[in-house]
Amino acid sequence: MDYVLELQDVSKTYGHGRTAVKANDRVNLQIQPGEIVLIMGPSGSGKTTLLSMAGLLLSTSSGIICVLGEQIDHASASHRAHMRLKTLGFVFQSYNLMESLTAIENVELVMNMAGVRGSRAKERARELLAMLGLGERLDHKPADLSGGEKQRVAIARALANDPPLILADEPTGNLDSKTGQEVMELLCCGLGRDQGRSIVIVTHDHRLRSIADRVLWLEDGQLSETDGNYLPEMT
Amino acid sequence: MFKLAWRNLLHERARLIISVGGVALAVMLILLMAGIFAGSEEHAVAYIKRQPADLWLMQDGVENLHMSSSLLPPQVVEDVRGIAGVYQAVGLLYSTGAVDLGETEVYSYIFAVEKGAPFGGPWDLMEGAGSPGIDEVILDSDLAARYGLGLGDTVDLLGKQLRIAGLSEGTFGIATSITFVNKQTLAGLMGVPPDAASYVLIRPESDADRVQVADRLKEAIPEANLMTREAFVASDQEMIRQMGADVIRAMNSVAYVVGLLVIALTVYTATVERAREYGVLKAIGADTALLMRVVAAQAFISSGFGFLVGIPLAYGIGALITTLLPEMLIVIEPDNLLGQVPVLLAITAAASLLPLGRIIRLDPMTVFKG
Repeated sequence: MDYVLELQDVSKTYGHGRTAVKANDRVNLQIQPGEIVLIMGPSGSGKTTLLSMAGLLLSTSSGIICVLGEQIDHASASHRAHMRLKTLGFVFQSYNLMESLTAIENVELVMNMAGVRGSRAKERARELLAMLGLGERLDHKPADLSGGEKQRVAIARALANDPPLILADEPTGNLDSKTGQEVMELLCCGLGRDQGRSIVIVTHDHRLRSIADRVLWLEDGQLSETDGNYLPEMT
Repeated sequence: MFKLAWRNLLHERARLIISVGGVALAVMLILLMAGIFAGSEEHAVAYIKRQPADLWLMQDGVENLHMSSSLLPPQVVEDVRGIAGVYQAVGLLYSTGAVDLGETEVYSYIFAVEKGAPFGGPWDLMEGAGSPGIDEVILDSDLAARYGLGLGDTVDLLGKQLRIAGLSEGTFGIATSITFVNKQTLAGLMGVPPDAASYVLIRPESDADRVQVADRLKEAIPEANLMTREAFVASDQEMIRQMGADVIRAMNSVAYVVGLLVIALTVYTATVERAREYGVLKAIGADTALLMRVVAAQAFISSGFGFLVGIPLAYGIGALITTLLPEMLIVIEPDNLLGQVPVLLAITAAASLLPLGRIIRLDPMTVFKG
């Protein structure tokens, strides 16, 4: 069976010699289609490094990364960019929207980058934003949107090219608990699992355990399965 | 990506204004400098252009009015008049020298034709006599007014006191003026016979074949050089261009460098300030080429608007300068405008390359920094 994402013995070391720091140590991870996986762990445990490698933003020191069955860890920068555009969706803690573009234009942008233009892109962006409850806020710029609204625009942008895998880094980090819960339910249930899309979420937020199929614990660069009911201290 | 570039520019209006303003300023400087040069060139050939002489006869080996010395034998004018097809021929004495206006001296092109000649004098007389008598001079009216001189006042020309008998218009340039004197007076100052001529201005009969007349003239006076007015103007313009080419090239280079720096710095600053956004684009799948297109689009939009603003600005400032300083003839030619387009495109492209290293080094990991 092809996993959406597979990491085999992936390690990442920063620096050399005596100053070397191992952020991830022989990590193995398989994500199935439609699966929602939470990666938790204390600060500095290597969560962001792991997500960056999974998101093809950071090269590995060793190990293999496959996306949709294709080994990608040694691919060229342009091929990895193409893979990020077509097969991955990103949701960030600080939204990272283009401040000069409206909500709908932010969503259209990634479709334009993938070659989808004109009314087709506009219609899809409008539809996604409407599904996320932003039908009335299409022409607002990020500065005029609340944190929850911005994150929903970011989710719409992540879904715009219909990727099979979404990678989310602390998506509720800047949201209050109620808004965070709403946003994640929208992402994971309505637009994620129900559409066969896999989602990997790196978070400190314990409340997200309820929407995940699996919870993984990362500490000292090593990943382990947990049942989600008991988690070590996050600090 | 054009939309993103456009929106990015509009989002930072102050920077857009600075960028467009800087380019407009550079374009204006380039056009004005070229216009001033073209104006001075126009002034230098104004006399040749304004006279109704289709053919100019001059000493053999001479091909210019300026920076050359021509003297023809006294009987040549009469010889020319005797050629079939010649309607009028006027002997012109030409020299250069400083007109002492009391407070200052102004370099002048000095022209003299026989009294009562059908042409060869001022083409736009404002006041006084159109043909100066012995020891009389016709000065430019703006030049005279600037130094409080009028009809009846005297000026010193080539060491001789001359009375202002007339005031002409359109005869004052940036550094030179055109002055008309009596031919006998100028001949005395030059030390040549009064009937000598530097050039003979020839007007063929209206129904005569100009080429045939020219051939007859060449045959009858083989020891002289004959040029059409157009060729004579072109020859003088070419000489002036060569003389001023280095200066105008240096001035244009300064303006181009100003434009290049303005575009480059604004594009670079905009790129640096938006580094995080470009990092986001990179993270979500944009490659370097796409990001460069956004940066280049911003640069080209800014310089395009700068160019469009710079043109009317150049015309406006040019008109203002000409109003305040009548001697500053500024000629902005459409050819010159179009000539700036490839240069501007090249400096904009060069400016776009400045942030290239920054774009390549952009770390998409910045997206994870809260």
